[in-house]
Order: sequence, then structure tokens, then C-alpha cells
Amino acid sequence: MNDEKGPGPALAAAAIGVIVFLQIPVLVVMLAAFSKTAYLTIPPKGLTLHWFEVVLHDAEYLSAAWTSLWLAAGATAAALLLGLIAAYAIHRRMVPAAAALASLMMAPLILPSVVLGVALLQYYTLTGMRGNSLGLWLAHVVITVPYVVRASLSSLSSVDEALEDAARVLGADGFTSFRLITFPLVKPGLVAGGLFAFITSLDNVPVSVFLLSASQTTLPVKIFTSVEQGVDPSVAAVSTLLIVATGIVLLLAERWTGFHKHV
Amino acid sequence: MNNRRLPGLLLVSPLLLVLLLVFVAPVLLMAPLSLHEYLPGTGVSQQWTLANYTDIVTDEYFREVVLRTLALGFGVTAICLVLGYPLAYYIANAGPTMRLTLTMLVIFPMLLNLVVRSFGWIALLANRGLVNNLLIDVGLIERPIKMMFNLFGLLVGMSHIFLPFMVLMLVPAIQAIPKDVQAAAYTLAASRARVFWSVTLPMSAPGILSGSILVFVLTISALVTPRMLGGPTYKVMATLIYDDFLQTLDWPAGAAMSFVLTGLTLLVIGLSSRVLRRWGGTA
Repeated sequence: MNDEKGPGPALAAAAIGVIVFLQIPVLVVMLAAFSKTAYLTIPPKGLTLHWFEVVLHDAEYLSAAWTSLWLAAGATAAALLLGLIAAYAIHRRMVPAAAALASLMMAPLILPSVVLGVALLQYYTLTGMRGNSLGLWLAHVVITVPYVVRASLSSLSSVDEALEDAARVLGADGFTSFRLITFPLVKPGLVAGGLFAFITSLDNVPVSVFLLSASQTTLPVKIFTSVEQGVDPSVAAVSTLLIVATGIVLLLAERWTGFHKHV
Repeated sequence: MNNRRLPGLLLVSPLLLVLLLVFVAPVLLMAPLSLHEYLPGTGVSQQWTLANYTDIVTDEYFREVVLRTLALGFGVTAICLVLGYPLAYYIANAGPTMRLTLTMLVIFPMLLNLVVRSFGWIALLANRGLVNNLLIDVGLIERPIKMMFNLFGLLVGMSHIFLPFMVLMLVPAIQAIPKDVQAAAYTLAASRARVFWSVTLPMSAPGILSGSILVFVLTISALVTPRMLGGPTYKVMATLIYDDFLQTLDWPAGAAMSFVLTGLTLLVIGLSSRVLRRWGGTA
């Protein structure tokens, strides 16, 4: 009997089966986007690019896509800045009750998003900020900041504090030593955290759906609400575009940061 | 020490301010809302009442929704565990290239927009969806089987959505098991099955618990997939809250349900972290 028991063929088959299961809805959506019929069959009855043309000329989809991208970019930028500096102060114990502060900053991950959504709906109604873009942006900062704080804290803990102290001894001020020493070392983790924040904002429905004004919508909320009115193959075309974009972003992120190690 | 306090507070306060104003305050302000009655037509009354909370326990419909949500949580967690463990075990023991490829294939659907993934399941499970069409073409069934707007559809869809989280929690737990423990068991002539049940599975228990808690909590708080696959009729707690706030406008009832959902989430997380700490202490 040999010592090394590799995985058996049954296990390999089960593992591959589960991997396939994970990709099935993705493949089905892509298939539906190219189908000439409004319903799905295998093999598809006729291939067409018609639905992509419909989507790329649809003003509502385009403006929803822009709103989503700007919101995600704005929320991520703010989360990165606020999250990193707060995490730095917490990591270096520059504030009292650092552990409690860190918990508070991670708390939006634990609260069900739909609860935050309805709480903000009431809050913004009371304060007259309902349907306000600023309110929506702040809400997205809250839901994305835990990813940045988590990534920052874990990256900072792997940085040798003596390096920054050495820079200080050599006459650099606090900001300079942070910028030249610590920041480059935490950057890969920060990029991964920022990417997670960006995707979280781009993905969000449970908070956005309660806060959007009647005149604006984000891409996921548009798909979410349009499905209730009946499925149209153009939804599959939009989804396919998102699938391709996600795939490209994942591959680039993996190349830049070894993304899978930060998940 | 004092010369560090001021810069520290300056660094923390912007985020702290945002969280207090846009996270803590809104949630706290929902508490008084949940303690008033909603009068259809007139709005929220001035009278204080606990009725919104007692209704959740006494009203048959609310009770059914809460129990359905919990059942869904347990069901999805069990399915994710059964499907996720073999894959995680395989990934943990695979060579570097295979491990990276499979990990990327697990992460990819997780990063993909949730709405898109749920839409994929609609395309599969609808009455004129792929699965029904396929079964009819093959001749196994004559009429479409109802696979959406019921427990089946939600179980399948949500298991798919949350499976990657389970796998990603299990892989490091399985990798952390020292190889020589398993090798020792084999040396002592234990069978493959015996090694799995007596060594591998118990030693990966912390990963199993963390993964299960994560999937359970994500399942009971999910809104998008239950709404898209369950429609407006087959409700869970999150979709009930959604309808309370956007359709029926019974905000107080929705607020009470929100606190019950949050309480359940915190309870599960609290219990599991106590168990994990105890295990951590004895290991």
C-alpha cells in the first residue's frame, strides 16, 4: 500500500461535476443572448446579434450602466481613502477602543443589506434626502468600506513597523514615511480590497432599490425590476456583456495582484 | 502617547462620522417606527404598540414565512456542504496549476452580478425554460413541471449562488490538516472511508462550521434571488420586508420584521463564534 493516497476518480468526477454546475447559469445566459427565439432551446434555433444591438442602443440601459459605474467608482474611491486612513490609525493603536472601532467598520457586512436599505429609506425620508444621489453614494460607501478596512488591516499587519520608524529616524515626516514605505507595501492588498468594494457596489440591489429616485436606476436594479415584468432576451444580452466584463476584470486582477489569495 | 491621539482621531473620524450618520442612526431610528401601528389610508399612528412583533409569532402567515426562511437557510447550507466538500477536498489536494484554475472557476460566478446569476436560473427553471423544454423534447414529460415560485427553485438557485462561499471557506480548513496525520492512519491500515470519517472530516470541522454559518446567514438575509425566483407570491422574510416598504407601505411591520431578521443573524453568528472559540481553545 502506498502512503500517498491521491484523490480517487470518483472524487475527481464529483469535483468536476460541481464546477460545471457552478458555470451552468452563466452558459445558459450567454446562450439565451444569441438566440433568435424569446425562449430557450438546445440547440438554439438560429443565432443572432440582434439583442446586443437592441441593448447598446437602449438609452435606459446605457444611462443605468453609467449610473452604476459612476456610483461604484465614487463609492470605491471614498471607501479606499476613508478606510485606509482609519485602518492605519486602528492598526497603529493611535485611537482608544481600536478593536471596537474595527468591529463597527466591519458591521455593515453582518447587517442584512435589505435591513440597511429600508432603514435608510425611512432615514432619508425623515431628513428630506430621499432620492438624493449624495445619499445613495454615502450608502454605497457604507456597504463597500468593510472590504477596504479588512484588506487594509490584513495588509498592514504584514508590514514591519520598524521600516517606517527607520524612515522617521532618518528625518521623514509621518506622511512621507507612510507614502514612501508603507503604502507601496500595502498596495496589492488594497487593490484587491478596492476591487471587491467596486464589485459589491456594482452588484448591489437591496440597498439601491430603496434609495433610487424615480428618474434614475442602476444596471442591476433595472434588470431586477424588468424581470418582474417578464423576461426579454435583451436582459440576457446585458447580462452577457456583464459576464464578459467580469471575466476580463478577474483575469487582469489575478495578473496584477494574485487576486485569489485575497478572497 | 497624547501626541498620537490627535492625528489618530483625525484619521478615524471621517469614516466614523459617515458610519454614525448613515449606518448607526438609520438603524436605531427604525426601532421607534417598529413600535407604532400602521393604519391603511392614514399612515403610521401615534400609539405605541408591540403588535408588530407579537404578530410575527401569532399570525399564521408571518410564522410560515419565518419558518420557510429558516428551512431555506438549513436546506441551502446542507446542499452547499454536500456539493462543496468534495470540490474543496479536490482543490486542497490538487497540484498548483489545477488548484489555481479551479479556484478561479469558483470565484468567477461569485464575482458575477447576482442579478445575472439569478436570471440564469430563471432561464433554466421557468415553465418555458431550458430544463422543461429539454425534458419535453426528450419525451420524459408532457407538460412543464413547476420549478419556480416554490421551495425547489429557491433551494437550487440559492445553493448555486452561495456554494462558492462554502468552497472558499472549506479549502483552507482542509489544507490545514497535516498530511502526516492522514498518512499515519493509512499506515495503521485504515481504509480510505475510515480516514475520511475519523480524521479528515473532524479535523476540518472549524471550516465546516464557518462555511455553514456564512451560507446560512447569507441565505436568510438574501433579497434578490428569492424575489427573482420566488416571485411576488412565494415570500421569505427579506422579500416580505421589501413588499412592506415598497408595495403595501406598512413600514412598521417591515421594521419589526427587519429587527427579527437582524436578531436571527446576530444570534447565529454569536452562537457559532462561541463554539469556534471553544474549539480553538481545545485544539
